[in-house]
Order: sequence, then structure tokens, then C-alpha cells
Amino acid sequence: MKKNLRFLGQVALLAGIYHIGNLIARWAHLPIPGNVVGIVLLYVLLNLGLVRLEHVQEAADFLRSHLVFFFIPVAVDLMNWGGVFYRYGFALALAIVASTAMTFLATGAIAQWMEAKGKACAD
Amino acid sequence: MILFTILLTVGSYLLSKALYLRYRHPLLNIVLLGAGLVITTLLALRIPYAAYVPGRQAMTWLLGPATVGLAVPLYRQRSLLRRHAREIAAGVGLGSLASMLTAGLIALAAGLPREVVLSLLPKSVTIPFAVEIAGIHGGSPGLASAIVVATGTLGSAFGGTLLTWAGIKVPVARGLAMGTGAHGQGTAMAFMEGERQGSMAGLAMTLAGITTATLAPLMVRLLLR
Repeated sequence: MKKNLRFLGQVALLAGIYHIGNLIARWAHLPIPGNVVGIVLLYVLLNLGLVRLEHVQEAADFLRSHLVFFFIPVAVDLMNWGGVFYRYGFALALAIVASTAMTFLATGAIAQWMEAKGKACAD
Repeated sequence: MILFTILLTVGSYLLSKALYLRYRHPLLNIVLLGAGLVITTLLALRIPYAAYVPGRQAMTWLLGPATVGLAVPLYRQRSLLRRHAREIAAGVGLGSLASMLTAGLIALAAGLPREVVLSLLPKSVTIPFAVEIAGIHGGSPGLASAIVVATGTLGSAFGGTLLTWAGIKVPVARGLAMGTGAHGQGTAMAFMEGERQGSMAGLAMTLAGITTATLAPLMVRLLLR
């Protein structure tokens, strides 16, 4: 019982920070989603020690392990978009394949180069 | 109806997850399989999408708090984050730019409608960020999430081979590429390669979401005035 209450309290704290993130984004007219502001906010609060891991980690770990569940209802919206795939399938596939390959290569290459350069400087 | 749609979604999730855990094939994606089962059932029973919306809202209200909770692994790994700060900043930054630029330019050249181009921009980041980024700028959340899953499936199936072919061997670089290029699905793949790759991919996944959200307004102005 006590454990359940603590879990609910942690969910409420995460929900509160998410809500504040939304308010900040709207109030400051940021072109950035509230959940992004919320995650940065929680990271800052953890680093400042104002929120400690034991205040949020059980709820955060549980929700993260089932994160994929929440994606399903979002993806069901796809049933309104069947025509787009039919009409623009080839261009979409090309954009996705080329862009994914470029992202992997760009990130991998610069990170490997910097790692090698860092090692050379340290020697 | 709301109870039926929720039960249908939970059932589809459990079935897709069981199938994925049994075969562990990258093409057996839980999101696509689950959404496919829900859509097929709705179509077969002639239930319109509008009837699914109340259940969808009830189910996704926890997505916001769940996403904020991604700060917890970021904080737990803060020493790793600090130790590789330069590689992470350069890798995630350049990768996020490359992802949006390549996808955006090809989509524009092919003459895709504005709404589709905007749904393509956040294609490399995890769904909760992608959906919000697409939504803010006028894209479609559902289309964006399908594109994200396609990217993740492609990246986790072939990304490792591509990196090896390109001579990218350093574990930190491989992990960063998998997390930046293929979000959660890439991170799962990176953990199969090794602990180091996995941790870096997890960091990169969250940071790529934040970076893409920050750069997207600029990219939208640049590409689609």
C-alpha cells in the first residue's frame, strides 16, 4: 500500500514537471515541445539536488520499460494516411533510406575522428 | 467503446511484445505490429477513427510524464556524458543536422506536400519527441511516428553493417551513431553489441531528441519558408 502510494507520488511529480515544461514552453513562446523542456528541467533539478533519484526513479524506470505501449495509440492515427504511402511511397522510402544512412555515417565518422584526436592529444 | 478500444490496444501490445520476445527479429516491430492489429480490427468492425480518439487520449496522457522520466538514465550516466562530452556534442549535433537536411531536401526535390515534409524532419528521434516536433510545425503525428518506426527498423537492421563497412570501429562512435540514427530501436541493437555501445546509444537517443527539437524551427525556416 505504502509502496503504491510512493509510486503514484512519483508519477505525480513527473506529471507536474511535464506540466511545468508545457507552461514554460507556452509562456515563453518557445518553438520547442513542452516534453523537451520538461526533460531538461528534470535533469537540471537532479543535478542541483532539488529532486533526488529516489523521488522519481521507480516511476521513471517502470514507464520507460513500457514506453513502447504508448506509441501504439499514436501510430493508429496512421489509418488516416494510407493514401500518402500509396502516392508518395517511393520518394518517402528514398528520403528515409538516404537520410538514415547519412545520419549513421555523419555521427559515427565525426565521433570516431574526435576520439582518435583526443587520444593523440593525450599521448 | 472507450473501454473496448483500450482493451484492444493493450491486447495488441501484449501479443506483439510476446511475438517480438519469441523471435527477436528487427522486422517484428512492436509499434508497427501493435498499431497494425488495432487498425485491422477497427477496419474489420467498421469502427471509424473518430471513435478511437477518446481511448487514445486516455492512454497517451502518461506519455508526457514517461518522456520526462528519460532524464533519469541521462542523470545516472552523467559521468560518461562528461567524459565523452565533445564526441557526443559533435556526433549528435552533426547527425541530427544530417538527418533533417537529407530527408528534407529529398522530400522537397520529390515534391512531397508540406505536411509530409514536416512529418519527415524528426524521423531519427524517438516517437514522443518526433510527434511533438512534427505537431508544432504543422506535420502529422501519426505519419511522423510511422516514419520514425521505419527509420528505426531500417537502422537497427542494417546500421551496424553500414558502420563496419565504413570502417567505424570505435565502440563509443558506433553507439552514438545507433542512438542518433535509430533512436530506441538502435539503442536496443547497440546493447546487443556491448554495454559501452548501448549506454552511448541511450544518451544519444535522448540528446538527439532535444537537439532536433531545438534545431527544427531553424530547419523549417530554411527549407519551407
